[in-house]
This record gives sequence, C-alpha cells and structure tokens, in this order.
Amino acid sequence: MNKRGEFGRLIFWTVLAIFLGLLICYLFLPLMGVSPSLAFTTMVTGVFSDKFTMGNILIKTTPLILTGLAFSFTYKANLYNIGAQGQFYVGCMGAVAVSLRLAEKIPGPLVLILACAAAMAGGALTGFIIGFLKAKAGANEFLVSMMSTYVVIYLLQYSLGSWLQEDKHEYLKTNSIKKAVWLPKIIDGTSVSLGIVIAVIAAIVVWLILYRTTLGYRVRVTGQNIHAARLSGINPVREYMIAFAISGAIAGLAGFTEINGMQHMLLTDFESSIGSYGIGIAIMASANPIGVIFAALLFGFLQVGGTVLSHSTDAPASVIDLMLGFVMLFVLMSFFFRRRSELRAMKKQALTKEV
Amino acid sequence: MQSIINLLTRAVFMSTPLILGALGEVVSERSGMMVCAVEGIFLGGAWGGFAGAYLSGGNLLVGFLSAMIVGLLVALLYGFTTIYMGQHQIVMGTAVAILMTGFCTFFYRVIFGTPTSPLKVSTLKKLPLGPLAKIPVIGQIVFSQNIITYIAWILVPLISYFIFRTANGLTLRSCGENPEAVDVAGINVRRVRILAVGFAGILGGVAGAYYSLCNVGMYTSEIISGRGWIAFGICFLGNWNPVGVLIYGVIFGICDALGNYVKALGTSVLPNELFSALPYLLVIIMTALRRSFNVPAKLGTNYIKEE
Amino acid sequence: MERKQNAQPPVVEIDHVSKRFAKVLANHEVSITLHRGEVVALLGENGAGKSTIMNILYGIYHMTSGEIRVDGVKQNITTPRDAMALGISMIQQHFSLVGAHTVTENIILGNVRGKIDYAAEEKKVQELSDRYQFGVDAKAKVGDLPVGMQQKVEIMKALYRNTRILIMDEPTAVLMPQEIDTLMEFIRSFVAQGNSVFFITHKMREVMQVADRIVIMRNGEVSGTVSKAEVQMADLARLMIGHDLEVLSRSEHDEKKEAVRLKVDHVTVERKNELPLLKDLNFEIHAGEIMGVAGVSGNGQDSLCELLYGALTPTSGTITLDGKDITHLNVAQHIALGVGYCASDRHRYGMVADMSLSENMMLKSSYLHRWDKGGWISWKSVDRYTRDKISQYSIKAPDAGVTIGSLSGGNQQKAVVAREVDMGQNFVIFDQPTRGLDLGAINYVHKTILGEREAGKSILLVSTELSEVFTLSDRIAVICEGKFMGIFRNGELTTEQIGMLMAGVPIEELPERENNAEEGGAADGLKGGQT
Repeated sequence: MNKRGEFGRLIFWTVLAIFLGLLICYLFLPLMGVSPSLAFTTMVTGVFSDKFTMGNILIKTTPLILTGLAFSFTYKANLYNIGAQGQFYVGCMGAVAVSLRLAEKIPGPLVLILACAAAMAGGALTGFIIGFLKAKAGANEFLVSMMSTYVVIYLLQYSLGSWLQEDKHEYLKTNSIKKAVWLPKIIDGTSVSLGIVIAVIAAIVVWLILYRTTLGYRVRVTGQNIHAARLSGINPVREYMIAFAISGAIAGLAGFTEINGMQHMLLTDFESSIGSYGIGIAIMASANPIGVIFAALLFGFLQVGGTVLSHSTDAPASVIDLMLGFVMLFVLMSFFFRRRSELRAMKKQALTKEV
Repeated sequence: MQSIINLLTRAVFMSTPLILGALGEVVSERSGMMVCAVEGIFLGGAWGGFAGAYLSGGNLLVGFLSAMIVGLLVALLYGFTTIYMGQHQIVMGTAVAILMTGFCTFFYRVIFGTPTSPLKVSTLKKLPLGPLAKIPVIGQIVFSQNIITYIAWILVPLISYFIFRTANGLTLRSCGENPEAVDVAGINVRRVRILAVGFAGILGGVAGAYYSLCNVGMYTSEIISGRGWIAFGICFLGNWNPVGVLIYGVIFGICDALGNYVKALGTSVLPNELFSALPYLLVIIMTALRRSFNVPAKLGTNYIKEE
Repeated sequence: MERKQNAQPPVVEIDHVSKRFAKVLANHEVSITLHRGEVVALLGENGAGKSTIMNILYGIYHMTSGEIRVDGVKQNITTPRDAMALGISMIQQHFSLVGAHTVTENIILGNVRGKIDYAAEEKKVQELSDRYQFGVDAKAKVGDLPVGMQQKVEIMKALYRNTRILIMDEPTAVLMPQEIDTLMEFIRSFVAQGNSVFFITHKMREVMQVADRIVIMRNGEVSGTVSKAEVQMADLARLMIGHDLEVLSRSEHDEKKEAVRLKVDHVTVERKNELPLLKDLNFEIHAGEIMGVAGVSGNGQDSLCELLYGALTPTSGTITLDGKDITHLNVAQHIALGVGYCASDRHRYGMVADMSLSENMMLKSSYLHRWDKGGWISWKSVDRYTRDKISQYSIKAPDAGVTIGSLSGGNQQKAVVAREVDMGQNFVIFDQPTRGLDLGAINYVHKTILGEREAGKSILLVSTELSEVFTLSDRIAVICEGKFMGIFRNGELTTEQIGMLMAGVPIEELPERENNAEEGGAADGLKGGQT
C-alpha cells in the first residue's frame, strides 16, 4: 500500500461524508420553510462576509481543539475520557478563582500564568482521579468519566451559588474578571484572543509528546498492547494515571482560554457541549493532534454558520447539533467505506508471494 | 412516617425507567453489545413519546408505541453502524447522542413551532391493584404505581428466564462470551446482536417516554440529562443480571427521590447540589468498590470476519 | 479396512477451489476428495492453506471460485449450518468453546429450541460421554477443564450432531503423547463405523500413524497426493517444503568449565488459596549453555519465563544472575541487567502490531536512555539501528517505517528475536521461539539461538516441540504441573521416557532408563530439520 493513495482516500471519503451529512441536514430545512440553497448561501456569505463573524469561528474552535486533544490523548492509551466537559469546568473554576482573587494584587501577566496553571492543575486533578480509580480500583473509566461530568456540573452550580457568586448574590455566575487579566486580542476588529494560539501550540505539543518522547511512546504502547507493555517494563497502571492527568490538564486549559480569553466570567450551562463535540472532533481526526485542529475548525465553522443561519432565517439553533450529528455519523460510516475500498484495491493488486 | 412512605413511593416511581433501560442493556450486553447510544435512545423515546401522545390528542398508548418505534430506530442505526460496519461502540454512541440532541430539538420545533407556554399532556395515571393497594405501607409504595412500573417488574423474571433457561438465551449469552463458537455452531452472530440491540432500543424508548409521559407530561431537551447513562451503569452494577438490575434500579430511584425531597424541604445542612449529584456519585463510588464482575468476555468487541 | 471407492461417489469432492483474501491468495485451484470410511490427512507447513480450504468446506469462508460436491451432488455451503445439515463438523484449532458455560451448554448450543430442559440434556450429554468413554462431566464448566478434556467436548459437539464427515484442525497440538494415542484410536473407530475424517496437521509422524491418504499442501496449492502405503517420511518432507533442509550442528558443551550465570534456588510461586504455579525449582544455567524445558503446554512454562523476567515474583526462594540477587527486581530492572525474553505469543507479548518496525525495536529499551536524551527520542538513531538489524537478520521489510503487523509471521519473529538477543546480553529466555513459523524461518531462529550460545550467553529454551528441545539443548528439564520432573543431559533419555515424565510419571517409575540413550536426540519428526 502506498501512503499517498491512503491519504488521498482519507480526504476523499471525509469530504464526501461531510458533504452528505450537510446535504441531509439541508434537506430537512424546507420543513422550517427555509430553502436549502438559500440556507447554504446564507451560511457561506454570512460567515465570510465580515471579519468579526469569521473571527468567531476561531473563537469557537479554540476550546474544541483542546477538548478534542483531551479525548485524543487518552484514546491513544486505549482509554475513554468522556469527562472532558467536567475537567473543563474545573479548569474554568480554577482560572476564574485565580483571576478574581489575584487580579489587583499582582501584575496581570503573572495572574494569567497562575490562572493557566490553576486551570490545568484543576483539570489534571479531575482527570487523575478518574485514572486513579481505573488503575487502582479497576473501575470502568468510561462510566466514571461520564458520571464525573454530572458531578462537576453540580459542584459548579454549588460554587456559583456560594464562594464564586457575584457580589449581588442574585444570579448563578461570577463577577467579571478585570481587563488586566484578559488574554490579549490578536486580530483587530474581532474578539479573537491569544487563546487560539495557545490551543494550536497545545496541539503541536501533544503531537510532540506522543510521537517524540518516551513518555508518549509508553502511553501509545500501553494503549495498543497492554500485555506487551507490561512485559517491556512499562507499568500500565502508571500510564493510565499519566494519560488521564495530561488529558484532564488539556481540557482544563480550555477553561483558561474560555474564561480569560472569551467570556471573562463563569456562569452555569457554560459551553455545555464542548465535551461531546471534542469526542466527535477527535474521532474525525482519528485522534491525530494536528488533524484535531482541522476537525475543530470544521466544527467551529458549522457552529458559527448555524448561528448565522438561525439568526437570519427561520431555522432553529438546533440545526447546529443536527448538522454536527449527521456529519459525525457520516464521517464514521466513511471509515467503513474507505476500509472497504482499500480492501478492494488490495484485491485488485497483483499478489507478491511472501516467503 | 407518611413522608417516608411518600419518598419510597416516589423512589419506586423513579426507578422504573432506569430498570427498563438497564434490562434492555442487560439483554444487549449479554450478546456482547454495549448500547452506548442509550442516552440518545432515551432522549428519542422521550421526544417520540411526547410527540405521539400530543398529536393523538393525549393518547398515551400511541405515545408509548411511537416511543418504542423511535427507540428501535435509533438502536438500529447504532446497531447497524457498529455490528455491520464495524465502528467503535463508544464512539458511535457519542455520535448518536449528539445527533439525537439536534434531531429531537429540531423536530420538536418543526412539529410544534415555538409555543408561548410549554405544551403538556396529562401524565399516565396510577393503577392501584385492587385489594393489594389497600395493604398498609406496601400497598401505597408497591401496588399503587402505574402500569409501566408493573410491566418493568414482570419483565425481570421473564428476561431472567429467557436468558438462563431458553435456547435463544443460551445463544445470546454465548455471543457475548465467544462469538466464534456461535458462528461455528452455524448461528448468525450479527443477527443475534442486532436483535438484542433492537430490543434494548424498544425498552429504552419506553424508558425515555416514561420521563415525558409519566413524570412531567412535557418534553424539554434536558429531560434525560444522563439518566440513560445511569441505566447503563445499573446494568454494570447489577452484574448483567435482571435481578441485580432491579435492586440497583430501586437504589437509584431512592437517590433520585431523595434529591427531589431535599429540594422540596428547602432547608438542609448539606447543599442541595450534593443530593442532585448523588446518583452520579453513587455510580462512581460503586464501580470503584465493586470487584469481580462477570463481564461478558467479549463485551464491546465487534465480531469481524476477514473475507 | 475395506473401502468401496468405486461403487459410490466420494463423500466430499473439493473441485478446483480458490480463495482470495485481501492480501493473500490462500488457496489456488485446490482439489481434494474424501471417501466413506477414510481418513485423509492434510499435511503442510503453517500458512500452506490447509485450514482455509477446510473452513470453506465448513461454510466459514466463501470460495472465490470452484465447486464442492457432497455425495456427488453440487452444494452451495454458505454457512456452517449448511455444512452441518450435510453432516459435516469441524473442530477448530483454537477451540470454539465458551469457557464460562458448562459442557452441556456448549454442546447443545445451536441444537436446541425453546425452553431448555437442563436435566434431560445433561443426561443425554453424559450418556454420549460414557458411550465413548470420554470421562467428561456434563455439568462441569468448560473453562475449568484441561485442554485434553476440552478437545473431547469439541468432539462430543460433533457426535451430538450425528456428524459423518469430521474435520480436525491440528488436533494434537495441545495433547500429551499418551492423549494423542487415544485420539488416534478414536479416529480409527469413528471411520470404522462408515464415517470420514479430514485431519489437518504439520507433523509427519501423525500422518503416518492415522491417515489412509495424504494430501500435501504448499503455498495454498496441493503439491501432492499419496496413499500412506506408498510413501516414506523423507518424500513427504520434500513435498512439504519444496527442497531439503540444511542440517544444524551443535558443538559439545562441558558445563563444568563454564561459570554459573543464572541460579534458581528453591523457588516457589503460589497465590493465596491456589495450587502453586511453580513448585520448588532448583537449577543453574552456565555461560554458553542452552537449557531446554520440555513439557505439555500449560504446565507452568509461561510462569517460569515470567518469573525469570521479573513479571512474576516468587513466594519463596532466591534467583541470582551473575551473583547478583534479582529475586525481587521488576521487568524494567531485568531488562537493564541484560535479560532478553522472546515470549511464546509474540502478538500478545512481544510486539505492537500497528507500530512501525523501529518503534517495535525500541519496545524494551524505553527506560534505558539508549535512544533518548531526557525523554526526547532520536528516531534517526532508532531507524539506523533497525535498518542494521533488517540487513543483519535478513528481515524482509521495505523499510524501518512499515508496521510490524504487515510483515509475515517469520519476519515478525526474526525482528523480535533480533531485539531480544540484543537486549539479552547476559541471559535470553526463548519461549516457543518457532511456534507458527515456516520451516525456513525455524531454521534461521535455531541458528541464531545456537549462535548466541557460542557467544557465551546463558539461554533458557522452552518448547512443546520435543524435537526442538532435542536439537538445541545441552541439558533438558521436564516440567509438569509447575514442577521439574528432573534435569538431564541431552541424549540421556528417549522421547518415550521424556513423554512419560511430561505426563507426570515420576522418574523412579520409568521403565528401562539406561539403554536407549543414543536414540534420544533424533527420535521425533522433522521440525529440527534432522529428517
């Protein structure tokens, strides 16, 4: 098999799947009295006509890259961290707490560094607990991480009603953080902050960890063949905890970019889907950290495009989830068809006798 | 005393959908298939049940039937992509969950537009079982429930019997333990598995509709919020055994009822949120504490033959 | 035996059947016939296509082209159910049993409907077992039975369905010599009742023992069909391999001159409330010495290897390597001390199939800082090292970047051997190093092992192929139920005597111990290349 043929097939089937997913979704739109062609032009022109909206894509993409990376990292260890949402919230709480408490006491950049550290540490701790339960108690990490998100949601609600609540004690949200501790904007005329740069760097760093360091190597070996790992002096229990802690830290980092870069406060139901979108993104990218950037961009585009669509036509906002759902479904199915076409190609190839 | 009886009555009431969902999950997981789409199936059931009932003028039978159909269809989508197309079960479950979130909300809007006040149907009535309902304490807690609850209870021994005492049950269990053995015995493993998943879909659909038609009488997109996953967890905790599912179902029903009870009281030393989080915490703690499950050996592994 | 070959059509006619998988042509124009009351052996190396053609007959795989006739009638067998309806049953090499279920449940799977009357079914199954004197308990859990018994359960599955054409895929691989004889007796009596058997094997001795006709397969094709009466073992070998094998030579070894490197002193491994995995082991391995461990698989060999590699900690006793106490060291520390381990199941323990050859070459050394500075891997040096090994061991791989899983079994094993020989600078453990390899690769691995012995390393060789143990070892230990039945110089005992020790007969009860010494080394079939 040549690598280029494989890559070409990957692109072909993925693009086809995205196209079909969107097409099906557009075919539903007449039910809401929106013509598919109008919807398409609205989405494209709406998104690309002004800089601000285009910037929004990058804003939406930022946390998605990070939650996508979070799922990818554990996926490489053959673990399922379904709890990135929860780790993200803990990261949010860490970032917002540090930003609120320290904002006027120490210089802004220092606060930012501390907030970032707090967010990552919080996420890492949450992830580590799941990894620990998996490694030491043999708990099913899929179930535990899934449940952890709900627990964290209530922890968040509690915190927003008590120690993090805004001064008037009316709403379940925090005060706004001071401008001094905002992540700087990097593109004029948009709200795009340094967060996107942080996310892209994170993707590159994750790639380097996985493929260029012994730590990442051991995580991958554990994920692909735990028995071989054990007989190679690698302790899978340790790798599980490391993988989950790193995964949690990445999801927590998303809390930092969202709080300090975008929202500047924390409230309930905050970005409540980025965890599950992250899973979809990671899968579309086959858990490749660099691929995650592009898959997240697609999700970001669909989110912004869907918002534009629901604002300027009668289509409801739920069209976003519908689009994402269908695109994911079709991309997953395309894996099957791609594999089948590869097998067919193999069968056509002349056989070389193995000796 | 009365408040404890009320609490337990509520607990039994709330345990029903969890038991139903988990029973479906038991049947399916015994065949080796985790139904990771359970959350999406529950949501589809809640939505389909409500839509069917509302559009038929409040006919709950139509509601439950349409919930079964929606649940079945979602399960078949999941089953087809995993069993026949070899996609990863957990991953596919997530995709279906996202899709169903969008699908239900979108089509709720398509069918009902944006009503100014939430649309409601009257919830399913209790069905006191004649003299049994008059027994003190037990009568109210156990024998004054609705018909779905009774059905869920009857299903426990029925499914037990099916799994452990019938030829098809043996085939089902063998599919989860060693699909090659089943294949070699001339039985189509994939067909067994898709049927099991479909069954889980039907029960899951009813379970989802229970929330919209028995509990609140309306549909919101947050109506399930992880209950499907709790049913999934109950199947694990119940040791893939219908009786175990019944026991854990009731425990989680108590948790659920307790949360509401504390909220209603309004005054408590501990924060309300702790009680709301209790079922989820319980799953975490129990999966961490429990050891030596009799997990079906090939649970979650797709059966693929090279051709 | 009387056969009426000409009076009626053959029971099975496989007529020019081909099977193409995505990557390989598994069968090419294969034609085989089977008559009533006949045992036809399919003989060939691993990967010759014997199992594939039988799986086609049994409906597991579907042929690409060709035709199958049963009793002269063309049949379209698409599922095992079709095959069963024709009276065909197949016992797979890796049993198709559900370990968590009882014997009865396994046997009735797919053969009952509706409610199961367990008492009645158990009685039926018990009667079946008694009729053939199998001694299988119908209520026992299959997972608790020894492999020999499990095979009987597989046979009972076929008998329960009134099979008249029985296919057995490598049925003797898991059996002790004595059990093999019982199996052969069963096969003879089974065909005597007018049934027929396909017997797949790669061992020539068995073929001569049981078959009426022999079909030899090579590279997916039939390379010859002979009747037993007309053929010699040497001819079979040539038909199987296509050429003669190079004979290995092993220099004599005097262990007294060489230093003791590995010393195992009264080591027992047991878990709470369980029978010991290993019982009171005492032995030494000298420099430049190969100690072979013979035994039926599943008698503690894996535990022994894991023990010496640090994956298992002894309950009591001590282990020293070059005078250093290594009893409680873990795997990583063993690796650091220069211990290599070729695990029996390389797919499970020795390699990561979806990783590149280079990545697999550094599998054991991720903690040794051999390829990394502060955790930062230099893939350049790993690749260079891998390319060196590729040429040194003539591994057939396009480059260091291909996944190891895409290589053939023999080349995978060469890569694993290359790595372990390099990691094991002092002591190397080989557990079934040639399992599943073709004869060419086996020869190569054997040469490598002997080469390492010359280099002065200590070697432990575990094998269930007696011929392999005889070919390579200086001394032979026989293991049974986790205990050494004795340690002998190679040649001291005959195959039969070793076989009895393997079966657990104590050394004192062995008949005529002294006389047959010179037979020992060359007693078994062809695997060592000594035919």
